[in-house]
Amino acid sequence: MFAKVTSVALVGVDPQPVDVEVHVTNGRSVFTIVGLPDTAVREAKERVRAAFRNSGLHFPGGTVVVNLSPADLPKAGSAYDLPIALGLLAAIDDKHAAAARVVALGELGLDGALRHIRGGFGAALLGRRLGLPVVLPAEAAADAAVLEGAEVFGAGTLGEAIQVGLGRGVPAAPRTASGESPGPDLAEVRGQGGARRALEIAAAGGHHILMSGPPGVGKTLLARCMPSLLPALSPEDQLEVALAWAAAGLSRFGMLAPPFRSPHHSATLPALIGGGSGVPVPGEVTLAHRGVLFLDELGEFPAPLIDSLRQPIEDGHVVVARKGSTITYPSAVQLIAATNPCPCGFLDDGGQLCICSQRAIDRYRSRMSGPFLDRFDLRIHLSRVAHDRLAGPPGEPSSTVRARVIAARKRQQARGSLNSKLARAEIDELAWEDAAVRRLDEAVDVNRLSPRGWERVRRVAATIADLDESTVIADGHVSEALAYRVT
Amino acid sequence: MNRATLPGLAERLVEDAALGWRLQFAFGGLHPDAALPLLGAHGAEGAVARVAAAGARRARSRDAVKVPAVERAGQLAGLGIEVVFRGDDAYPARLADRQGAPDLLFVLGSWPAGPAAAVVGTRRCSSYGRNLATAYGQAIANAGWVLISGLARGIDGAAHRGTVAVGGSGVAVLGCGLDIAYPREHATLRDQLLESGGAIVSEYPPGTPPEAWRFPPRNRIISGAAQAVVVVEAAIKGGALITANTALDQGVPVFATPGDVGKASAAGCNHLIRDGAHPVLDPSDLIAELELILGPPRQTRDAQNEWAWEGISVERMAVSHAMTIAEAAATLSRAELAGAVVRHGDRYYPAPGAGR
Repeated sequence: MFAKVTSVALVGVDPQPVDVEVHVTNGRSVFTIVGLPDTAVREAKERVRAAFRNSGLHFPGGTVVVNLSPADLPKAGSAYDLPIALGLLAAIDDKHAAAARVVALGELGLDGALRHIRGGFGAALLGRRLGLPVVLPAEAAADAAVLEGAEVFGAGTLGEAIQVGLGRGVPAAPRTASGESPGPDLAEVRGQGGARRALEIAAAGGHHILMSGPPGVGKTLLARCMPSLLPALSPEDQLEVALAWAAAGLSRFGMLAPPFRSPHHSATLPALIGGGSGVPVPGEVTLAHRGVLFLDELGEFPAPLIDSLRQPIEDGHVVVARKGSTITYPSAVQLIAATNPCPCGFLDDGGQLCICSQRAIDRYRSRMSGPFLDRFDLRIHLSRVAHDRLAGPPGEPSSTVRARVIAARKRQQARGSLNSKLARAEIDELAWEDAAVRRLDEAVDVNRLSPRGWERVRRVAATIADLDESTVIADGHVSEALAYRVT
Repeated sequence: MNRATLPGLAERLVEDAALGWRLQFAFGGLHPDAALPLLGAHGAEGAVARVAAAGARRARSRDAVKVPAVERAGQLAGLGIEVVFRGDDAYPARLADRQGAPDLLFVLGSWPAGPAAAVVGTRRCSSYGRNLATAYGQAIANAGWVLISGLARGIDGAAHRGTVAVGGSGVAVLGCGLDIAYPREHATLRDQLLESGGAIVSEYPPGTPPEAWRFPPRNRIISGAAQAVVVVEAAIKGGALITANTALDQGVPVFATPGDVGKASAAGCNHLIRDGAHPVLDPSDLIAELELILGPPRQTRDAQNEWAWEGISVERMAVSHAMTIAEAAATLSRAELAGAVVRHGDRYYPAPGAGR
């Protein structure tokens, strides 16, 4: 007697089908699970046995063999309890054969209750692809039901889960989008006009931005405003983000604002870029996919951590190598970093005196490796000045700025890609006015710009021209771009 | 230099022969107080002969004293160096009254008018001391006073830097000839000091090498010309303490910044305080104390160039000139490329010597 239930394993963020095959024969009373199960999967037999009994079902005597296929894909966790149970039921009882025609994922309690698992969203996606109903624990079902075109059923117990395949399930109600807020509004920032402008440019061109300045000038607040300046996620982006989050056991679908992640500087390497022992999970850089990764107190991050971010940020994906396989997570992020200029924070401040020794300052700076700092197109300095804060007119709200950002991005997309992603040859092909080229040459001549800085300033100038709705890149655009490159 | 210096000196030598002898004796390393009696007794030729034979011990000095003053005037013209004799109007008045003041000073640039304060300290300073000296230099310049120091490594250089950073004027008193860039790493600072309307002076004639024994005597010029001496970081032994002690002998008020007890680089200052120097804590405290001695800060600020002192941010530029942030940022960048302003952090300051 044989039955097969479809379940899911996440490879990176990609849901792969796993066939749970159950074979029951007469013979010695043995329950075996094969197909690269981890300990938690192997323990499923005890849970399934107890759940069967406590749900009023007959657990078969004889030999039960469960195979998780493909056999070379490592399976982990307790989420295969439900497909194993459904398969077992279908294998021993033809009446229940239909119960196996589902995509199932869920952990069983000994009493037969279903418990929350991560990866429900992947199951829903797979169910949609295969045209099968999806059975999930109630809570996971509510998250996954948001996916359009998927038949998602929630079940509180094993008994309820069985009913789904028999056509007596109740479709899960999609979780209504909770009152999400895209973070603070730019109108809350008083003064700091230069920094606000730089943030707008960063949003418009997708440029990475580094802010330095003493504590309390509003670097963090400005960074948190970033999602409110960015265009809403497209449906494809929403799906990508939801998959990335689902892989971490988090739910994020139907949210239009780009994600904003702000890992603490004490984060471990796996927490930041993904991996970890046991089941690999995506790191912060993946949770920030299609959104903003904010590194506050950049100088406090250990150098190896910062260097490990270089490749994911450059490539837009991160590869985690595991024994026997590699996993790829997406990591297309916009980077914002904030740092004090020195350990005490008051270097180059108008008012307060810096008390750091030159050695301490050098050591602090050397943590942020040159190659990493080179990733930032915009590097600005903020200072605490009472008159600056009060002098500025009340800040523009994010919505106004976002409208300009969206318009500027449209211009770039019409040309191909965002200015921050342009290859050097593509920048050369933009419409440069002679005066703009001369200004760049002048900046190099007076040693204001390194060759690398020259490259970065050109990208930023292109974005400024786009914000200006100008078809050519003029002297004014280049000159302004130079102001956002503190050496 | 904008003043026609050399015809002046040459003419004066013709008018007043004694000036010529004083110049010659200075080149010979001899104070005229010692030489002038000889001049009276033996006449010019005889005096030079006697000085050459006995007064100046070293061969270099013997030969130097014999070179005629007119020839010296020509050499100085070539170097752009002026000579200010004690008794001239251009000679700093306070210094002229001091006992043992140099008979003449070689000057590059022009000694700025106004009350002056000296900031001195160790050459081997901590970055704490360096930052503090820079802040003092800035504060003194912002008050419109003249900063005097020795252009040495460490505290002296930092104080000068603070002054030129905000476009103030200062005087550097050297312990070697004015044609010698010592210390070499301060060559740029020298230029900035001159560009911002300051002066570099020495009692030693051009060509005099920097030798350790020449520096303590130059300290009497620093303390003698200043109305107050501020010691930032100093060990028990060192030039800064010599300056402070000279100042005390001359009756010039001495201020010192306290430091950790038991720290060698703070011991000098702490001892000065124990012995009665005024402790100062921060730049504003210093200005408040100095006001009692130097008088109220000169109101050199006006609305037009107020930002010269505080710097101007992109935002402030936009507000005060009714520009957009974009225009203001572009304008300031162009000014920076043109060398008219320099940037520190997010503010722009007038570049030293950029035609204020």
